[in-house]
Amino acid sequence: MTDSMGTVQEMVRLDAVTKRYGSFTALHETELSIRAGEFLTLLGPSGSGKTTLLNAVAGMATPTSGRIWIDGRDVTATPPEKRGLGMVFQSYALMPHMTVFDNIAYPLKVRKISKQEIRKRVSDVLELVRLPDLAHRKPKELSGGQQQRVSIARCLVYNPRLVLMDEPLGALDKKLREQMQLEIKRLHNELKITMIYVTHDQEEALNMSDRIMLMNGGKAEQIGSPHDLYFRPVSQFAADFIGQSTMLDAKILEVGDPCIVDLGASGQCKVKVPGANKDQGGKLVLRPETLRLITNDQIADGFNALSVRYKDSLVTGSTIKHIVELENGTELIVQELTTPEETAKRHEGRLLVAWPVEAGIFLDR
Amino acid sequence: MRPETREQYRIAVFALPATLFMLVMMAIPLGSVVWQSISDDTGLSLAAYAKIVQSNLFIRVTRTTLEIALGATLVAFFLGYPIAYFLAKQSTKRQTIWLIVILIPFWTSSLVKSFAFVVMLGHAGILNTFLGELGLGPYKMLFNRIGVMVGMSHFLVPFMVFPILTNLRSQPPELAKAAAIMGAGKFRIFRTVTFPLSLPGVVSGALLVFILALGFFIVPKLLGGRQDVMLSSLVDFYAREVFDFQMSSAIAVILMATALLAAFLLSKVRGGASILSKESS
Ligand SMILES: Nc1ncnc2c1ncn2[C@@H]1O[C@H](COP(=O)(O)OP(=O)(O)OP(=O)(O)O)[C@@H](O)[C@H]1O
Ligand SMILES: [Mg+2]
Repeated sequence: MTDSMGTVQEMVRLDAVTKRYGSFTALHETELSIRAGEFLTLLGPSGSGKTTLLNAVAGMATPTSGRIWIDGRDVTATPPEKRGLGMVFQSYALMPHMTVFDNIAYPLKVRKISKQEIRKRVSDVLELVRLPDLAHRKPKELSGGQQQRVSIARCLVYNPRLVLMDEPLGALDKKLREQMQLEIKRLHNELKITMIYVTHDQEEALNMSDRIMLMNGGKAEQIGSPHDLYFRPVSQFAADFIGQSTMLDAKILEVGDPCIVDLGASGQCKVKVPGANKDQGGKLVLRPETLRLITNDQIADGFNALSVRYKDSLVTGSTIKHIVELENGTELIVQELTTPEETAKRHEGRLLVAWPVEAGIFLDR
Repeated sequence: MRPETREQYRIAVFALPATLFMLVMMAIPLGSVVWQSISDDTGLSLAAYAKIVQSNLFIRVTRTTLEIALGATLVAFFLGYPIAYFLAKQSTKRQTIWLIVILIPFWTSSLVKSFAFVVMLGHAGILNTFLGELGLGPYKMLFNRIGVMVGMSHFLVPFMVFPILTNLRSQPPELAKAAAIMGAGKFRIFRTVTFPLSLPGVVSGALLVFILALGFFIVPKLLGGRQDVMLSSLVDFYAREVFDFQMSSAIAVILMATALLAAFLLSKVRGGASILSKESS
């Protein structure tokens, strides 16, 4: 979203926000700026501070230090009921003693909206989340997916411009999750809301986000687009957390473009490492889908090749995963598309693993 | 033998001594009270019940008993709910400390406490002396309804606090959070979320307090006036002063039946059943 001046509007801004519980720091000085209309996902393992950050934005936890702005207003000391945002909980947090209608009408009654208008808006929003006809039921008479739709409806009915969702799909099965992911994306696009979404499911984060903030131990490990995080991880933690990868111990032998990297007993390879130093140690990260198994006569320019021992293959529908072993005993996973003849001659004579030079990622932390 | 049955037998063996004890000390005497109430020299007779229903004294005392029990329940609610609400907001550690403070009344015999209240509330008691310094009173707070209410609620409030506190603690904290984020202020959250959800706890507590209040004896006798005779005192009166054991047994049976009815209602309340089985053991 842009204003009349053509500049991008900022919806949320965290300025050096820190949250401590006693001597334990749940959130270290965090800087974050979220554009209006952006879909930002907080991704990270359990205990990494995702909920803490979300609670700070929602006003449920006061930061120990730092300031928070929402829509240009300093809300650091504003209580949650005055922040005007919407939130969806993992546990749905529907009022068990109220019907679906009363649940959704709740924020409208708080806002002293007329009965007639309430009836209209509730039925509109039930339409929007594709749940008409259930208005008179109690939450416990609904399935998990339906309850989550009601809680999303309740959050959207008063048109908050900023919506926070804390693992909203955590309690649903895989199929329903995927369906709800699309649904939430659709609502985000249609209603042009700004979204802060929490998950510890990397696939969900990659599917839905404009930007991902990867968190680890109360700090932002990396902030970027899903593409950035997948192809340009800044740390071994990021590379490991997002997508599948194999990590090999590596040391820079010769600085250049590309650098020559020593993989110990397994051999050497070329990797592009901007700003590399000689003898710098680290890990070489290889994604399974960038690897190929080839024969000796298929070695090509611009590719690295290492000799391997074949161990096993797993067919997972459209793809096949080969498990191979490097000279030093490290296992590598090679992912290729399944082809009809694959099963017959899959590893015959293909004793080299190869990947394009640009596909290798060298990480020193 | 299926494992569950074996387990059941094991439990039965452990429960046997207690069961025997209850049988000898409770069931048999109670049974004999019931039997006494429906028999006289000539054999089975409901004469005592017929007499009771027509007795002005009984009707007046029953009304007093219900009034006092209901009054004590109301007082216990208005005192107990804020305490439970306050406790539910404390950390677990502080809760323990406060609960001990609340339980102190339990560690003192109600006889001793009643005498303590005489000292506190009497005409020249601590409270009236203090009020006198402020140029107020003296107020009559002893040997009347006020004395009875103070003495009874002092004992009964914890029974109101516990079921409500249990309920408040089991309420998911996200509900109040969600309401706050939707824009509701503290009072609205209490009125529309916390309180309605705590009603089962309130009903449990109220029934429990009511049942206990029905059977009070010492407190109304020591702190109440001539107008505050409760059914338990009437039982005592017929047994020890009139020596009419049939009448006294019949009144005791009626009192017990009323309490049982309330206990039955309590078992019907959601979450009440567990409280009943816990507290009555
Ligand atoms: N009220 C609190 N008191 C003390 N420590 C807390 C409190 N709330 C959270 N923490 C700690 O702060 C850290 C971060 O917690 P947070 O709930 O933000 O994690 P999270 O990333 O949301 O994890 P999850 O994926 O399990 O929900 C955890 O180590 C947690 O134990
Ligand atoms: Mg969390």
